[in-house]
Amino acid sequence: MKNRKIIIGIAGIILFGIMLFILNLFVGSVTISFKEIFKVLLKYNTDKTLNIIIFDYRLPQALTALLAGAALAVAGLLMQTLFRNPLADPSMLGISSGASLGVGIVILLTGAISGAAVSSFGWWSTIGVSLAAFIGAIVVLLVMLAFSSRIKNMTTLIIIGLMIAYLASSITDILKFFSLKEDIHAFVIWGMGSFSGVGNSKMPVFAISIAIGLFASLFLAKNLNIMLLGEMYAENLGLNIKRNSVIIILISGYLTAIVTAYCGPIAFVGLAMPHIARFLFKSSDHRLLIPVTMLIGMNMALFCNLIARLPGLDGNLPINAVTAFIGAPVVISVIMKRKK
Amino acid sequence: MEILKTKSLSIGYNDKAIVSNINVSLNEGDIIALVGPNGAGKSTLFKTFSTHIKPVSGLIELFGKNLNQYDNKNRAKMLGIVLTERPDDIFLKVSDVVAAGRAPYTNMFGKLNDIDEHEIKVSLELVGANNLIDRIFNTLSDGEKQKVMIAKAIAQNTPIIMLDEPTAFLDYPSKIELFSLLKKLAKEQRKAILFSSHDLELLLRFTDYVWIMAKNQTFMAGKSNELLKNGILKEYFNLKDEDNDFLLTKNM
Repeated sequence: MKNRKIIIGIAGIILFGIMLFILNLFVGSVTISFKEIFKVLLKYNTDKTLNIIIFDYRLPQALTALLAGAALAVAGLLMQTLFRNPLADPSMLGISSGASLGVGIVILLTGAISGAAVSSFGWWSTIGVSLAAFIGAIVVLLVMLAFSSRIKNMTTLIIIGLMIAYLASSITDILKFFSLKEDIHAFVIWGMGSFSGVGNSKMPVFAISIAIGLFASLFLAKNLNIMLLGEMYAENLGLNIKRNSVIIILISGYLTAIVTAYCGPIAFVGLAMPHIARFLFKSSDHRLLIPVTMLIGMNMALFCNLIARLPGLDGNLPINAVTAFIGAPVVISVIMKRKK
Repeated sequence: MEILKTKSLSIGYNDKAIVSNINVSLNEGDIIALVGPNGAGKSTLFKTFSTHIKPVSGLIELFGKNLNQYDNKNRAKMLGIVLTERPDDIFLKVSDVVAAGRAPYTNMFGKLNDIDEHEIKVSLELVGANNLIDRIFNTLSDGEKQKVMIAKAIAQNTPIIMLDEPTAFLDYPSKIELFSLLKKLAKEQRKAILFSSHDLELLLRFTDYVWIMAKNQTFMAGKSNELLKNGILKEYFNLKDEDNDFLLTKNM
C-alpha cells in the first residue's frame, strides 16, 4: 500500500472515531439534540440534568470505551504475533479467567462468610470488585510470566495459558455452587462487561494506566516484525526469545488486567480488531499495525457502546453480547475475503 | 583466515549426543557442503552453530572466542542462517523482510539509515531479486522467497552464512543458479558458506570441502575431490560403481 493511501485510511478511521464519539454523547435513553450537546460542552447550558447526563455519565463512558477498546485490540495483536496464531487473544493467557476468579472470590465468599450479599456493602463493593479482578488477573499474569521465562516453545505456552484459564474458571464454578443467589446475580452482571463502571472518579487512574501500556507497546514494533519470520530467524537476528516473550506477555497481560478490572471481561475486541487492521491496510508491519489496531479498537468499542445504549433498549445491553454480535460476522467476512 | 572452529564437539538433544567428536574449521572463502541422510544430525549441527541448542559437550570457537560468550546482538553479526522452511503468511514487503537482516545494526525502533538502505539494495541485487523489492513476500514463488531469505542473510553482513537444504524446493536450473550464487559469495565476498544438500553431483562441482554425517553417528570432513577419489563418498552414499565412475570423470 502506498503511503498516501495509508494516510487517507488512518485519517478516515480517526474521523469516523470522532463521529462515533459525538454520537455516544447524544444517543441514549434520553435523547439530547446536537445543539444542546454543544451548548453543554461549551458550558453555555445551565440545565443541571443535561450537564449531569453528559459530564457524569456519557462522556466518561465514551472515554472508557475508547481506552478499553484500544487496550484490548493491542493486547490481542501482541498475542497473535507472539503465538503466531490468528486465533490468539488475551483470554489465552488466562488473565480474564484470573480476574473472574478474583471477583468470584470477593463476591461469592463475602456472602458465604458474612451472610449478607456483597451489593449490601454499597460503594465498597465496587472498589472491592475492581481490586479483586485486578489482583486475580495479576496473579495469573505472574504465573504466566514465570512459565514464559522458562519455556521457549510457544505452543507449550498457549496450552499452559489455556489450562490455567480452565483451572481458574473451574474454581470460580465451585465457588458459585456454594454462593447466595443475589451474589451469583451480581457476578453474572459483572461478567457481561460494561463501560459505565469507571466514571469520573476513577477515570484518571484508569486513563493513565492504559496510556502507559499503550505507549509501551509502540516500542515492540521492531521485535514483533522480526518474529513474523519465525522463532529460528528471530533468534538468529539477535532476539532473546524468552525475554521478548516475557515483555510481550507483560504488556498484553497488563492492559487486559486493567480493562478487565474496570469493565469486566470483554470478549472479542482483542481477537477481531487485529484482523480488521491487517485486512484494511494489507500489511503485517507492526510499525503500522500497532497504532492502526488501537484506532480500530477505539472505533469498535465506541460503536458497540452506542448499539448497547440505543434508545428503546432503556439502559445498557451487556457489552459482551454486542461485541460478539458485531465482531463475529466481521471476522468471518474478513477471513473469507482474504482466502480468495 | 579461520572463522569458526570446533573442538571435540558433540551435538544432540537433552544431553544425548547424536554425533560426537566433531573437529572442523570454517575459513574465510570456504564453501562447504554438509551431506548425509535425513536424521543424521545436519539440522542439529546448524541449530548448535546458531546457538538455538547447546552442544552436548566440546567447544565451538568463533574468532578464537567461545561462541557462548557472544551476546545475542554480536552473535547475530557473525552468523546468518537460511532455513528450509520459508516463513509464510506474512504481509511484509520484500524490502522489509530483507531489512530484518539489519536488525542487529538498527536502533530499537528498527529505523534504517542510508547504510542499511544501501545494504538492502545491494543484497537483493546480489541474489538477482532487485525487481521484487516492492512485492509482498507472501505473493512470491518458493524460489523467489528463497532468494529473498538469502538476501536477508547477506544484509545481515556476517562472515558466516549457513543454509539448511537450500536447494530442496528448486528445479534444476535454479539449483545451479543458487550454487553459483553461494560460490560467488564465498569467493568474492570472502564469506564462509556452509550448506546441507542431497545434490551430490552438483555440490561436488561447486564446493571445496564436504562434511559427511552418516547414520552410524560418524562425522568426516575432507576435500570434495579427495573424498570422491579415495572412495569415501562411494561408501557413505552406497553409490553404484558406474555412478561413482561418472562422478569421478566429471570432477577430476
